[in-house]
Amino acid sequence: MRKKISPPRLDASLTIILFSLLFIFGSSLSAQTKIPKANLPVLTTSAGQSNDVNTVNIILEEAGIKYDYCDVPDVDLIKSGVGLADRESAPGFHVEVYTDLGRFPKGTPYKTVIFALGASLKGMGASGLTVDAEEARLKRIVEYCQKNKIMIIAVHVGGSALRGAPGSDNERMIDAVAPFADYIVVTKDSNKDGRFTNIAKARNVPLTEVDYALDLVQIFKQLFQ
Amino acid sequence: MNNKKLILGLCFLALMIFAVWLIPAGNRPSLDLTLSADSEANCTVIMVGKKASADGSTMATHTCDCGICDWTWRHVPAADHKPGETRKIYHINQYKTWPPEQGLKWDLYQQDFTGLEIPEVPHTYAYHHGMFGYINENQVAIGESTIGTHRKLVNNTPAAKFDITMLTLIAMERGRTAREAIKIMGSLAEKYGYGYNDDGEMLCVHDPNEVWVFEIMPVGPLWKPESGKPGAVWCAQRVPDDHVSVCPNESRIGEIDLKNPDYFMASPNVISFAVEQGLYDPKSGKPFNWKKAYSPAEGSARSTEGRRARLWRFFDLVAPSQRFSPETPNMDFPFSVKPDKLISVEDVMKLTRDRGQGTAFDRVKGIRGGPFLNPNYYGTTRTICDPRAEYTTITQCRGWLPNPIGGIVWIAFGVQDTSCYMPFYAGITAMPDSFRIGDHWVFNRESARWAFDYVDFHVQVAYSYGLEEVKKAQAKWEAEAVTRTKEIDEKAMNLYQESPAKSAEFLTGYCLNNAKNVIDAWWKLGDDLLVKFNHLKFYNIEKRQMDRSQPAYPEWWRKAIRIFDVIFEEGVK
Repeated sequence: MRKKISPPRLDASLTIILFSLLFIFGSSLSAQTKIPKANLPVLTTSAGQSNDVNTVNIILEEAGIKYDYCDVPDVDLIKSGVGLADRESAPGFHVEVYTDLGRFPKGTPYKTVIFALGASLKGMGASGLTVDAEEARLKRIVEYCQKNKIMIIAVHVGGSALRGAPGSDNERMIDAVAPFADYIVVTKDSNKDGRFTNIAKARNVPLTEVDYALDLVQIFKQLFQ
Repeated sequence: MNNKKLILGLCFLALMIFAVWLIPAGNRPSLDLTLSADSEANCTVIMVGKKASADGSTMATHTCDCGICDWTWRHVPAADHKPGETRKIYHINQYKTWPPEQGLKWDLYQQDFTGLEIPEVPHTYAYHHGMFGYINENQVAIGESTIGTHRKLVNNTPAAKFDITMLTLIAMERGRTAREAIKIMGSLAEKYGYGYNDDGEMLCVHDPNEVWVFEIMPVGPLWKPESGKPGAVWCAQRVPDDHVSVCPNESRIGEIDLKNPDYFMASPNVISFAVEQGLYDPKSGKPFNWKKAYSPAEGSARSTEGRRARLWRFFDLVAPSQRFSPETPNMDFPFSVKPDKLISVEDVMKLTRDRGQGTAFDRVKGIRGGPFLNPNYYGTTRTICDPRAEYTTITQCRGWLPNPIGGIVWIAFGVQDTSCYMPFYAGITAMPDSFRIGDHWVFNRESARWAFDYVDFHVQVAYSYGLEEVKKAQAKWEAEAVTRTKEIDEKAMNLYQESPAKSAEFLTGYCLNNAKNVIDAWWKLGDDLLVKFNHLKFYNIEKRQMDRSQPAYPEWWRKAIRIFDVIFEEGVK
């Protein structure tokens, strides 16, 4: 009887392990740069009132990260910190407070603001906003965050349909936030033209590109570790 | 202001505050926990089974009520495809307008390629394409209504390759029956993911024999195709042949019986996904209920102050003998109802023009409509007729005729009450050029749609008077087209026996010619209304006279002004 040859099996196992590792890291995050550290408490909001902020919120929930959310906060509301001044939702204005108030009592200043980028005329209409008004609001809160050293994270998970020609509604939302972000996270579909990569390079800020929104769960876990 | 008036005014204000305070908290509209379609409240679908209609046809409407959306139409011809060909899938946003100066919608949305190409079928069917696919050469027809779902189920990520719009186009290209169209859409959504621009959606899918309600939901933004799980959850229920139903942006499917495939179809995850998401507890002892799990919408016509009145209003209009109550929570309304009398296409046209007249939700009740009873001013009631309508379709499938002659989509541009339904047979090979043109932001006399907005705009000047002028035009152009249908059918049938191509040519000529005449008539009507009510007077065009007493301000309106002045204006006795 011919003796079985073991080395090829070892090679095969190694190959499987290597491919598995490549697959895990390759698919979960085609990370271009190291994921930075962000601190709690965190506020999520929309830049352009597309529904993508809902995706961001679900990702945070899946990652077990407590957050506050407001679709159209202005400087005063961000300044009021955790709990968003006990404001209640009303038509065209939504707030949700999930931050752990035991760790971060009401009024604790936010350390991080996550902006979900993407313009929706329907969403802005529902909030009584025009593109100009939304852009001006974003400018104010971005300036406030920069001045108060609040980390700005720009997320674009809407793909190519939430992109457009220069000067289009979507690009204006991106222009209002992304160049001032401390960290940019995008799906590959959103960054086909490399616009986010260029913004990140220009400011030397980290950027992570992923295939699916699901991949952001692990990234957010690391981010807020 | 003297003391008497001050006291009167304070009493009036106190009464108002007391009245508002009296409304029980439970009856006040509350924010839904779901991502409801309420804020959009965009479309109404009316459905009629073949044994519920006066002529044996099945019918469905789509009131495309948006206010900022695209209204262009085209005909898509049938095509043969070689083995190995693929069909590109695009993201098509139903709320988007494509600037006409940049090109045509169907060319421009190709810029939003999803990256997905699916195997093409050997032959794709011809169909008429507006915002959605509406009717194909097999008499498979569709009407749409957004119904919303839980926020956590919404999937706006690029992982979801299919929007509802794209699904309807594929259904048109490939569907031979309503059932088949539903299965095609369902399986594609499961495999490639559903959502992106859309969330909870309802489609009425019908053919000459059956009318189905198809409802579909995304499965959340964390889905990816490699998961092996379906990228959508869907369910379909058939409307009994002798029943009618409606979808006013609210899910309509309740308990389901998948052991009865004649009446129910669903994706394999229909219950398991609800359990997984905590939307249904099998241990509750209650049967699974689709709408309660996936698209709950609280409130009744009354409790929402008419915001959700369309469901009750429809049932009350078609089956008044059953005395449906506006207090009944909408979720408790039946799926469908047998109408008190058989429904004709004219009845359906009338239903689409309903403004809730004479009900507690009448938008001109009291002084709301002003002196000329204009329902477009102030009011919380959402009626079936909606001033934001881009167009309304009535798809009609008639099984006793060959498919190209049996299928008709009646199209009315703009607001239903000031518009005119024009017939377009399933077998025609072109749509009017004027249907391909225009958007909301640039007035365009080459665009068919603007003719109807032009009339509607001038009706607003003195609504009750203007509408009478429109009704005369509708009687001439719309009612006559309905009456002529039998004659046109017969001519088309005679030609069809000789040559289907000749029949198609005849029908195309008839539909395009009729549409041109209607559009010309509406431009003329708009011009006449402008002249007639110029300066808010009444210029008699025929007699070349101006009647200063017209339009007459009613006595109750004068009294209402007087009452307001007495209460609020200083020095008025």
